[in-house]
Amino acid sequence: MVKRGQGAESALIGFSWLAALFVPTVLCAMVGFLVVRAWPSWGAPLFFGDTPALAALTGRAPVFDGIWPACVGTLSLIGLASLIAIPLGVATGVFLAEYAGRRTRMAFSLAVDLLAGVPSIVVGLFGFALILLLRRTFAPDANTGLLLSALCLAVLALPYLINATRLTLETLPAGLRLAGFGLGLTRWQVVSRLLLPASLRGVSGGVVLAVARAAEDTAAILLTGVVANAGMPGSLTGKYEALPFHIYYLAAEYQTPAELAQAFGSALVLLCLTGTLFVVARVFQRRLHRTWSGMEVAAWR
Amino acid sequence: MAVAIRIERLSVDFSGKAVLRDASLEIPKGGPTFLLGRSGSGKTTLLRAINRLNECFPACRTSGRVVVNTADGAMEAYAPDTAVEVLRRRVGMVFQTPNVLPLSIARNICMPLEATQGMRGAEAEARMEEALREAQLWSEVRDRLRDPAVALSGGQQQRLCLARALALRPDILLLDEPTASLDFKAAQMVEELLGELRSRYTLIVVSHGLSQARRLAEYLFVLHDGGRVEELGKDVFRDKDALLTVLGDLL
Ligand SMILES: Nc1ncnc2c1ncn2[C@@H]1O[C@H](COP(=O)(O)OP(=O)(O)O)[C@@H](O)[C@H]1O
Ligand SMILES: [Mg+2]
Repeated sequence: MVKRGQGAESALIGFSWLAALFVPTVLCAMVGFLVVRAWPSWGAPLFFGDTPALAALTGRAPVFDGIWPACVGTLSLIGLASLIAIPLGVATGVFLAEYAGRRTRMAFSLAVDLLAGVPSIVVGLFGFALILLLRRTFAPDANTGLLLSALCLAVLALPYLINATRLTLETLPAGLRLAGFGLGLTRWQVVSRLLLPASLRGVSGGVVLAVARAAEDTAAILLTGVVANAGMPGSLTGKYEALPFHIYYLAAEYQTPAELAQAFGSALVLLCLTGTLFVVARVFQRRLHRTWSGMEVAAWR
Repeated sequence: MAVAIRIERLSVDFSGKAVLRDASLEIPKGGPTFLLGRSGSGKTTLLRAINRLNECFPACRTSGRVVVNTADGAMEAYAPDTAVEVLRRRVGMVFQTPNVLPLSIARNICMPLEATQGMRGAEAEARMEEALREAQLWSEVRDRLRDPAVALSGGQQQRLCLARALALRPDILLLDEPTASLDFKAAQMVEELLGELRSRYTLIVVSHGLSQARRLAEYLFVLHDGGRVEELGKDVFRDKDALLTVLGDLL
């Protein structure tokens, strides 16, 4: 009996090890594959084609064959979507955690969960339909473009932000609230001076998730303004290029092995981009947290 | 005898369960007034009813009347037009377990000053130093004001909480078992502090230490299970045997 129990246990431990190893293995295999396939195309021409790098970076010469416009397009998308989604999402999370009554909270949470379940292609379709509606009503010139795509991505990112903010606020120790109210702070002061700073870690985790979600999405931008060849994004309402779509487009329609290699190169760039975002966010959140908890630049001086 | 707080027919329920039932008492100015009772008898709840902190728990219902006499006149705590923040600034509270804010030592005092009175800069620093001196903490923290407050020892944290409350210049201080989570030495220090603060503030102290109450109390109330409040005269609670006969079954 004892023996069999031990056998079962070691089998279980072995299985746990295998399961735990699965994730890093898959990750290494994927990144390795990507690097190997992207290698032939890696270099300045991948980004800028035949245009000199400096001229392209300063915007003095257009880029035709490189993925630089797509990189800028994706960065603009991320920036715009964050600008829209972060204030909205954090504010909604604060409202749900601190201000809403029980009924309102339940209804809103359901709505947020439903929104999280909406496929991104549906959000894209919705954005497209919005343009049609605008055209028929008071903006006959409305067209798909960067801002519309950013709006759609913001809608996709919102549930992550709302839930991260709300969950973090709700799991803060009750003593913090009580201490704040006991000192005669108003509800808004308790939220803005104690609870939000204390939940910075959790909230910025949500921000990173949301941004990563926005960076990789292809379906929502497909119908709302992304194109294969637009050059650098020129205006909020103009067409633009983006990395995920560029990858998709090249992979589906490549004519030469060089184009396929460029697709792999783009994928690696996208991976690096989101990776960098994660790292920057982590550093930023650590620095903010330290400042706030008073180990650095004490604000009272 | 001037009255600092008058409580009339105060009832408090948590999720429909009665914790206090029609409690009525008058707490004199000065003190210290001690509040004794078995654990779970509602001492903390009674303190929180005075500065309306029970409202932070959604399941709580309160009825009755609490009148707080402050330097600016009488305040009806539960009147609809009473600003609860103003009430809480007049009635400071120190909790049973020290709850320093996750900020630096200095910010623990200066942030509330800034938020509630718009005080900052040199004025706030002067007020901070004064409060830290009053709480007998200044010499221990003057060189590390920018360190996180959570790095302090339990006794220091409790005195920081006291200083934080004092900095806001309240009229009344509610102290919920201020020595319960401290070791002997730290507890002794806080006790000495109470002796000094009694001349300037109305002190209301929850305690479960009989000997502590006997040594420090000027007035004493006993909270019985079911929310009945009984006042004991000085002749009773200063006499150990008499006190034990009254409380023997209780503690
Ligand atoms: N926040 C709360 N939520 C629910 N019940 C509470 C809460 N605070 C106190 N109670 C209940 O009220 C009763 C009295 O608690 P408390 O006032 O903390 O007693 P004491 O301080 O005398 O030990 C206890 O039965 C406790 O369960
Ligand atoms: Mg208690």
